[in-house]
Amino acid sequence: MTLLTQILVSGIGFALPLLVAAVGELVSERAGALNLSLEGMMLSGAFCAVLGSVTTGSPWLGAVAGVLGGLLLGAAQALLSVRALADQIVVGIAANALALAASTFGARLVFTGGTEVPAFDRLPIPVLHDIPVLGPAVFSQTALGWICVLVVVVTAVLLGPRTGRGLRIDATGEDAVAADRTGLPVRRLRALCILLTSAMAGLAGAQLALSEVRAFSDNMTAGIGYLAVVAVIAGRWRAPGTALAAVLFGLAQALQYALPALGVAVPPALLTMIPYAIAVVAVSGLAGSSRAPSCLTVPFARA
Amino acid sequence: MTTRLLHPATVAAGAVVAALLVGVLLAGLAGADPLTTVSALVEGMVGTPYAIGESLNGVAVLMLVAAGFVIAYRAGLVNVGGEGQLCAGGIAATAVGTGLPAGTPAVVALPSVLIAAAAAGFAWAAVPAALRAWRGTSEIITTLLLNFVGLALVTLVVHEEGLLRQPVTSSETLPQSAPLVDGAHLPSLGLPRSPATIAVAVAVVALVAVGIVLRRTGTGLRLTALGHAPAAAARLGVPVARTRFLALGGAGAFAGVAGGMVVATAPAVLAEGFTSGYGFSGLVVGLLARGSMTALAAVAVLLGFLVSGGINLQLVAGVPATTVSIVESLIILFIAGSAAWAARRRAAARRPAHRPAGAPVETVGATR
Repeated sequence: MTLLTQILVSGIGFALPLLVAAVGELVSERAGALNLSLEGMMLSGAFCAVLGSVTTGSPWLGAVAGVLGGLLLGAAQALLSVRALADQIVVGIAANALALAASTFGARLVFTGGTEVPAFDRLPIPVLHDIPVLGPAVFSQTALGWICVLVVVVTAVLLGPRTGRGLRIDATGEDAVAADRTGLPVRRLRALCILLTSAMAGLAGAQLALSEVRAFSDNMTAGIGYLAVVAVIAGRWRAPGTALAAVLFGLAQALQYALPALGVAVPPALLTMIPYAIAVVAVSGLAGSSRAPSCLTVPFARA
Repeated sequence: MTTRLLHPATVAAGAVVAALLVGVLLAGLAGADPLTTVSALVEGMVGTPYAIGESLNGVAVLMLVAAGFVIAYRAGLVNVGGEGQLCAGGIAATAVGTGLPAGTPAVVALPSVLIAAAAAGFAWAAVPAALRAWRGTSEIITTLLLNFVGLALVTLVVHEEGLLRQPVTSSETLPQSAPLVDGAHLPSLGLPRSPATIAVAVAVVALVAVGIVLRRTGTGLRLTALGHAPAAAARLGVPVARTRFLALGGAGAFAGVAGGMVVATAPAVLAEGFTSGYGFSGLVVGLLARGSMTALAAVAVLLGFLVSGGINLQLVAGVPATTVSIVESLIILFIAGSAAWAARRRAAARRPAHRPAGAPVETVGATR
């Protein structure tokens, strides 16, 4: 494998979970709900996926457990921020801390020996897989990876801004009071969007743990969830931009591991910073010319 | 339900008790009986003068970070970047503290180290502050992202000999800085057999000062006005952008000083992970205090002691130290949920509805 191919393979490996989580988060944010807990949902998904896979011996059941793990935090986020009107940001940050601490705690208790994790194998698409460079990176995903791609496309199409559902979501995020007056169930819509987001984040965690890393390690998401939130902002709250940003962040992550392999003497810590530094620039430069949904982070309750 | 039961302090206490109960249950799950857990925790918090001193030093750091958070929060800004600002302060303090000649007297060394730390913290927060003030970029996202950059920066400077790493003499040289010159070490508070430093006194003074400025001065009024109603504040002549910039920068300076103090406390070296989550915990303290400096001190004491007790929990009872992190995050979730709910019940109990003081929650993010 050439080096470029290696960077691309590893970059897409990071980008796919990031993409799934970001496209999910996009739906919530358009409805006016910011989930900083995305990182925690992914981590919880990764932990539960590995736990489920090890206990049942089936990676498929593991992936289902991962989705449920994400949903668990999503339910908490929805309950607290939509139902109890708690500050979305506070809840999100606390949920991340909880997921990090609880999964680390759980790993100490459960994953003691060097147990083999039943994981997914790659299913290269014939012919397309043979395209140089791009083939191995894009057209050689695991079964779960293909499901991720499918989920992303279906979500982006069915909930796009031109569909009826998408319009209702956008209305909720732009002017919750007006949406409520026209009869839209604002709080139920928001809660459903958060649950969808968390299920997708759980799936993203499962993909990371069962298709890429094939194990669980403490804090294995290591900030990818935050980058997914940033991808939504950098993508100006639209699916194509979000997807592009997610792929770029994934490639930036991969660069960390690729450059030392190339023999370039760069301190690893410097490379760790790159995606975050890029993210700061992306948020400040690109988002300056766009506008967030007006009701983002503003809780809704009838007066 | 009576209003007293819905008082914020009662709600917070209930949340803390509930979270602690979960913590004991978890410890049981890890194989420790409740009695051992509780006694190990208490032992680690207040068991010896040494434990108390260590806990107090942690409390001081939390107080400083939280006091800074409250300043920005008054102006309607949420500073999630405490961790990164602590890192910046610690790096600057180390750079100055290791660069001074060996015999520098404390009157020179200590102020220069702490001023450098404050300046670095301010500069670190100035980036998101400027972006927020003049470009409208959400400070929550940018301060959060800069945490990761700051933490990586610490790793970088303690691993590179050309930067702040101590001279590498053997393969066993730890990746950390050389110790600060003696004059730059924080003096002890003077308690017998206690490692508590004057950081505790500094933090208390800072807390009182912030309380007075926010409650009794024009600066405090401008910040509060800006936090509650930016448009109205602008019409009344508050320089909105500049005030926002300085408020968030000030929060960074407080966290920076705190970072400098952590480095200037024994063993007085900069090492990876030296912030040990103080930035996040400080944010929690600032939020839970809801604008009251008394509450801030109380919550800082609670969390500070809890964290140092948690370390003992791992050593003695064999319970993972993450149990304390779980309890800490549960406290926030419980309080965040129940406080909002209780506030509405209170408001419903005595119309006309009023808003709880010091929490411009509704305006955060609403104007972007």
